[in-house]
Amino acid sequence: MKLSHVNYIVLLIILVTGIWTFAGAQNDKAMQMYIGVATAISYVIWGIIYHTLEGDLHPKVVIEYCLVGMVAIVLLLTILWT
Amino acid sequence: MEHFLRHFFVPHHSNNHRAKALHLDSMLCYVLIFAIFNFGIRIVHREFPNVLGYATDIRVDQLLAGTNTQRQALGLTPLTYNVTLAQAAAAKAQDMFKYDYWAHNSPEGKTPWSFIQQAGYKYTVAGENLAKNFSTSQGVVDAWMASPTHRDNIVKPSYREIGFAIVNGVLNGEETTLVVQMFGAGETVIANQEPVKTVVPEKAAAVEINQSPSQLGEQTAKEVETQVVPPTEMVPVAGANPTPVLNELSTMFSSVFEKPMFNIPTLTRNVAFGFMGLLIVILIIDGLVISKKKIVRVAGHNLAHILFFTAFFIALSIVKRGVLL
Repeated sequence: MKLSHVNYIVLLIILVTGIWTFAGAQNDKAMQMYIGVATAISYVIWGIIYHTLEGDLHPKVVIEYCLVGMVAIVLLLTILWT
Repeated sequence: MEHFLRHFFVPHHSNNHRAKALHLDSMLCYVLIFAIFNFGIRIVHREFPNVLGYATDIRVDQLLAGTNTQRQALGLTPLTYNVTLAQAAAAKAQDMFKYDYWAHNSPEGKTPWSFIQQAGYKYTVAGENLAKNFSTSQGVVDAWMASPTHRDNIVKPSYREIGFAIVNGVLNGEETTLVVQMFGAGETVIANQEPVKTVVPEKAAAVEINQSPSQLGEQTAKEVETQVVPPTEMVPVAGANPTPVLNELSTMFSSVFEKPMFNIPTLTRNVAFGFMGLLIVILIIDGLVISKKKIVRVAGHNLAHILFFTAFFIALSIVKRGVLL
């Protein structure tokens, strides 16, 4: 199995776990917020590790993953707190 | 226009082979725009609640009809509306807003039963369901029926009477429509039964943010022994002669109806999901074009971003505003 396939399986596990726990915290907005933020942070870390292993990590890539995570968090805030 | 669309959505030499919508500065703009959008909604809602607000239509008659429909479907006796229980529910709702808590027991240790007793209802069995931030009566009843512990209260055969309070206020800093449903049976109804237990739905999940684990532990008790009035101590039938004040209070909290020009949950969901959908489409187009042209560039993986936003799309689509306890 190629390394990138393994990485994507890890990503899928992170995301499915995130959705699963998020759904389980249906009556608790604060917990859903924590789970969403934790999933976003995990994604950023995954992205950094993935590009490090691929040998193409660049500061721009790190900033891109951070911004993608921030966009997701701000969308999460929009839905949960308004 | 065509040039602008291509520049914004399709990788091209004009945008350094990355759709402008996916550039780092664009991403930063999205974060700022949504932050301003969120603050803007709060400010407009505070200043012009009739323009931007939370559409709500919850009424006692609808809640009563919905509850009794569920009971009758199971062959159970319909519950009778009781003004004293409604007064107890109103007092509970007021206490929750006053002391800013979302729980069956108050931070000072007041139980639902103390509100029922203070209202003058002498019960042999009693129960309480809570709900907040639902927009319709049917939504509240459906959610209660979907929750096993709340459903148990609604279809409990020993209950004979019911009272509701529907109140708007601010709870934990959040504008909240609170629904308190109290069940009971007066001592004259089941006077000769063995001592029974009152039922509070077990908490489905942790409650609001500001509560300590010890508080949570206190609330999760599913069944609580009640003070059963001895059959020898005959007291007036529960709610048979409510005072005018009680009537007035229970009427005050009998419905919440708000119909703003724009409903905040609908507006925010449309904007957020529309944006997420657009972003996913742009990522797909960008990825396909780059893959077809075999362009090498320094950027994150579009497939990973697509999976990430899709996961958030799925998770956020199951968020419900209404919460039970």
